[in-house]
Amino acid sequence: MDFKKILDSFTWKPHEAYDFSIAQVEEKSIKDENTSKPLEEKKKVFPSLDVNLEYIKTRYNTLINSDIIIREFTLLAHNKQYKAFLLFIDGMVDSNLINDFILKPLMLRNSANTFDGGKDRIISEAVTNNITVRKVKKFDMTEYIASRLLPQNSITEEQEMDTIISGVNSGNCALFIDTLEFAFDIEVKGFKQRSIDSPNNEIVIKGPQEAFVENIRTNTSLLRRITNTEELIIENIEVGKVTKTKCAVCYLENITNSDLVAEVKYRLNNLEVDSLLSSGELEQLIIDDNQIGVPEILSTERPDKTAKHLLQGRVVVLVNGSPYSLIMPATFIDFMSSPEDTNLKPYFANFLRVLRFLASIITLLLPGFYVAVTSFHQEILPTELLYSILSARETVPFPVIFEIFIMEVSFELIREAGLRVPSPIGPTIGIVGALVLGQAAVSANIVSPILIIIIALTGIASFAIPDFSFGFHLRFFRFLFVLLGYIAGFLGISIGLFVYLSVLCNIRSFGVPFLAPFAPAINSKGNGYFIPPIWKQEYRATYMAPKKEKSQEHISMKWKQK
Amino acid sequence: MNHSRIGTLEAICLILSVIIIRTVLSLPKNILAITGSASIINLVYVGLIMLLLVYFIYRLFKKFPGMDIIDISEVLGGSVLKKIVGFIFIFYFIVSSSIFLRNFCECLRIVYYPSTSILFVILFFIIALCATNYLSFNASLKANLIITPIALGSIIFLFVANFRHFSPQRIFPLLGNGIFETFVTGLGNISSFSGIVFLYFLPPLLKEPQKFKKVAITSVVLSVIYLIITVSIVLFMFPYFVKTDEVMPLYSAATYIEFGSFFQRLESVFLLIWMLVLACYLGIISKFVLLIFRKITNIKEFKPAILPVGLCILAVSLLPKNYATAKFYETDIYPYLMIGIVCIMSFLILLLASFRRKRKVGDSIE
Amino acid sequence: MNKIVRNIFILLVIIVFIVAFSPSYTSLNIDNLAYVIALGIDVGENEDFNISFQFTTGSSTSDSGSSEKSPLIVNSVEASSIDSAINLMNSYLAKKISLSHCRLIIFSEEVASKGISDAIYTLANDSQVRHSANIIVSKSTAKSYIENSTPILENLITKYYEIFPNSSKYTGYIYNATFADFLNQYLCNTCEPFAILGGVNTNASVSDAGTHSSDVTTMKSTNTPFSGDRGAENLGIAVFKDDKLVGELTAIETLCLSILRGDTDSFLISVPDPDNPEKLLDIKISNEGHKKIKVDIVNGSPYIRFEAKFTGRVYSMKNNAHYLDDTTLNMISNAANEYLEEALTQYLYRTSMEFKSDISGFGKYALSSFLTAKDFEDYDWQNRYVDSTFKVTIDTTIQSGFLINET
Repeated sequence: MDFKKILDSFTWKPHEAYDFSIAQVEEKSIKDENTSKPLEEKKKVFPSLDVNLEYIKTRYNTLINSDIIIREFTLLAHNKQYKAFLLFIDGMVDSNLINDFILKPLMLRNSANTFDGGKDRIISEAVTNNITVRKVKKFDMTEYIASRLLPQNSITEEQEMDTIISGVNSGNCALFIDTLEFAFDIEVKGFKQRSIDSPNNEIVIKGPQEAFVENIRTNTSLLRRITNTEELIIENIEVGKVTKTKCAVCYLENITNSDLVAEVKYRLNNLEVDSLLSSGELEQLIIDDNQIGVPEILSTERPDKTAKHLLQGRVVVLVNGSPYSLIMPATFIDFMSSPEDTNLKPYFANFLRVLRFLASIITLLLPGFYVAVTSFHQEILPTELLYSILSARETVPFPVIFEIFIMEVSFELIREAGLRVPSPIGPTIGIVGALVLGQAAVSANIVSPILIIIIALTGIASFAIPDFSFGFHLRFFRFLFVLLGYIAGFLGISIGLFVYLSVLCNIRSFGVPFLAPFAPAINSKGNGYFIPPIWKQEYRATYMAPKKEKSQEHISMKWKQK
Repeated sequence: MNHSRIGTLEAICLILSVIIIRTVLSLPKNILAITGSASIINLVYVGLIMLLLVYFIYRLFKKFPGMDIIDISEVLGGSVLKKIVGFIFIFYFIVSSSIFLRNFCECLRIVYYPSTSILFVILFFIIALCATNYLSFNASLKANLIITPIALGSIIFLFVANFRHFSPQRIFPLLGNGIFETFVTGLGNISSFSGIVFLYFLPPLLKEPQKFKKVAITSVVLSVIYLIITVSIVLFMFPYFVKTDEVMPLYSAATYIEFGSFFQRLESVFLLIWMLVLACYLGIISKFVLLIFRKITNIKEFKPAILPVGLCILAVSLLPKNYATAKFYETDIYPYLMIGIVCIMSFLILLLASFRRKRKVGDSIE
Repeated sequence: MNKIVRNIFILLVIIVFIVAFSPSYTSLNIDNLAYVIALGIDVGENEDFNISFQFTTGSSTSDSGSSEKSPLIVNSVEASSIDSAINLMNSYLAKKISLSHCRLIIFSEEVASKGISDAIYTLANDSQVRHSANIIVSKSTAKSYIENSTPILENLITKYYEIFPNSSKYTGYIYNATFADFLNQYLCNTCEPFAILGGVNTNASVSDAGTHSSDVTTMKSTNTPFSGDRGAENLGIAVFKDDKLVGELTAIETLCLSILRGDTDSFLISVPDPDNPEKLLDIKISNEGHKKIKVDIVNGSPYIRFEAKFTGRVYSMKNNAHYLDDTTLNMISNAANEYLEEALTQYLYRTSMEFKSDISGFGKYALSSFLTAKDFEDYDWQNRYVDSTFKVTIDTTIQSGFLINET
């Protein structure tokens, strides 16, 4: 340990700050474009299989999309060989059904497909005046396959590409056969319904009750099912030199900003780690470091919330083995909103948001304020309140700071212990905590009752914040404000608040300012802290710079127009 | 680099934040001391002059797109003038911020920290200043965007809550201390608009440079409205404030607020907000000092200079021997500095540079 | 390595700050302060002042929820100034005195007539003093006033101190004269200060009510018809000229002051019954908010006009009353007008001729007659007020009785 090293730590060394930001879409260039895609002419199935294959491949982006499966094979029908391919989405279909009842009868030689008679079946023959009139039915390949080769309960012949694709998106599989102008839409839906559970940690009253599971394929299929569009791209990236954990990067190709997608993929691809076991680890590996531990990525176990954010133009990363999806970028507003908000009327949702904002302020500042007021600024207290604090503190031997510190730490202990104990004895912790630490500590004159109220209020408020990690962050930093309030009262708190605010302003989550749209002030077009009624949410959040800003027509409720 | 630029609203808040800090200190009282009950008339009058000046500044800057006053002085007088002007501005920024810091901290110390050395009260702000400067360029500007509206709200709240203590008759006698004092000596009140100094540095920093005019005009108009509100709080509430010299007039006004018997003595909450504004102001000032410093020395990275600038502000703010000297600097020296440097020197540089450019253009045509 | 040094540095800074601010912390901490709730200033025997402090300990609520009245403690000390008294008291109490919750500042009559500007400035200099504290001039010594002021209906005396000035809103017999108002009125050159007149009622101990007046025209503190548990009472106003006590206002004069300054919302007057002049009618008058004060300078002396509109309802009920009858109502209105006009005019001339003190604050209405501040200063309003002429016009509309209108 030489002196120079210590000196070195005070010298300045230049370092390149990693700096990524999304290019904001220029105000003028935003066209009032129609939300629906420019009307393409409705594509029909081509007679040539290769053309069909190309079309499907571009439509689904199969080069990067990981769960789209195209199985090419040779089909034996009528004792002849035809080229064919099967299109389905992994995770949404039951592969046993496909193996046993589609591929097997079509590929393997059996009595049905080797049948080559009845080329032109004579249905009826009538001889009048030596002229034989034969009613001949031409051999119909389509019908032959449908009626003889596919032992499936629900098969439709479709000509329209769009119908076929929407069938595939909802979990069917499509069979294309060379020379046929039809494709078969075969129902092989097979979601893993059983393993999907209701969410444990993010509970809503009005809303779907399903949660992600550990299997990545199931999770992608959940997203596909909700979004139901082929624009959803799910790319696979393997992370971890040893574990090679599968990660799926999901985004909507026509909405999400491509810089953002590229950045996420860049960060995922450049991770030199041996193992990746959970989404929480990945989260820490791909965010910009901020000194105060503010979460920059939204992590949720709810597919509906994930899909909502996908449709707003964000990127979602799923990690195999982790029942949480990571949504990026995430801003302050996202951590303050619950998936329930849009299901409620805007008045009530906004009331809840005010409540949550209050909760976050209480969590962060209330204990610090209490310490500051009792140490430096008693004049702000109403006289009656002052005397009730005084008489409550009369018998307490400790100074306020020590008192508050004891109680805050024991509160955190109760919380942590309550999490860790086996569930049968969980309630005991609550009883012990509430009785012993609340009641007994007051009766023993170790803490004052007013302080218990402060601690309890802080604790309750911290759990009212929808995002767990953001709540954790606030709970941690309240200790700092207690310290600052103790050192210099409101002066300390205001300096702390200012530095805290500046750091928050400095944070950018994947190029999006954390406090957008407030600082910097951006016209968010109805995506501010308070949500407008659902018919007014015409635009996606501008600060995400999505490719398509408009999310609904100016007048979405067309039925009202007449 | 999109995110290191300043948005329109941020620029307006930036200009306002300086005025807020000064009104929290003794500005309203200084204005009242000069013009008495005619202060509101005087402010409207001075505001109009300022508007005119700012409009000229805008017109002159239009000839130098993407340049600030330092670049323009280089155009005018080469790198020597550039360095001189740069150092004058650095001097101005450091001196003014340390005067405000010292005065504010003296008041804080009187009210809440009677047995703490002034050094530590000031050091708190210096630490905040250094900490935020290590963040990216406009973190403190963005924080200012959040804090300034809160501070403005606090002043408006002060106005509304004290409404019943007002006696609007105090606007009379209409001419205050006399016509000469109102319209000639009162011209000195132009120094209230100290935020205007940032206009000279804004053009290359703005995200949307075409909105420079909007920024300039809006901020002057808002400043006038804001000043009228603060001055009228003091004028209507306190009879002839000049007679007694209270540390911070707005702070005194805040002690009067009461809603029933529960909400009384809210002044510490106001101080909390104003401390935020001061911290913000210091952060911004030091950022600009660093920017100018980088510009005149052509260094690539200004991070190593953060600590020296902070220490510099600390040292200058500790220079005055006592509160009286600090107050003297604020009320008697600062206005001249502001008028001299901001209104006259910079304006002259702009004017001369534009003449020179015109002549050059004229020469080249011939 | 780098990180360790940085962390040590941060830790050091925190420790330095804790050390630096700890003196302020100890001197302002809630545990180390004694909160004065009333401050009494008397003339001392040996020193200039005898300062009394009233403290209370918060009401101790037991577990069963019943709470007792909190005990009151009065301590006094003789000193040469308020601050040295506080200093002496600090060492006696072993706790630091804080004036931040001081609700009353009581001057004895003797101190007040000597001039209290120094005391007021001293208190204004203390950042802790509450601007909403009331200033009381006590006819008895401040100490006996404090000793005799005990809460009757409340547990905590501060509650009583907080609400008693509010009765001015519906009686008008006292005025919510706060410390801040006093300071401002003392400093300004358009008005003069005044304070609440307090005193210790001897009725509580002596059962001799004969000498005490129940007439509002003479009623004021120590001359009141009350008898009750609390000795201290507040009725009337102490009038100051500059910083010296020059006179006292009776209950009805205080009401006039309240009307002129717009402090009262409603009040009760007893006017002679037009039907039966020997009897009195009680009328509740409400302030309509229509109040006009105009000050002109005529021939160098102020001419002050006051116009106000009130509405009223009759409280008194008697046999054979017709409170829906226009003529009856008009008669009562006229009686009320006469009564109020007379009271106001008397009050105004008393302030100008007897006290020579513009406590009603007419000066600010005169400001508009002057162009510059210097003109006004040259005019010397405070001394010209003596020459004022007053004209009072009251327009009262009696509307009806309350629930019963005809008997």
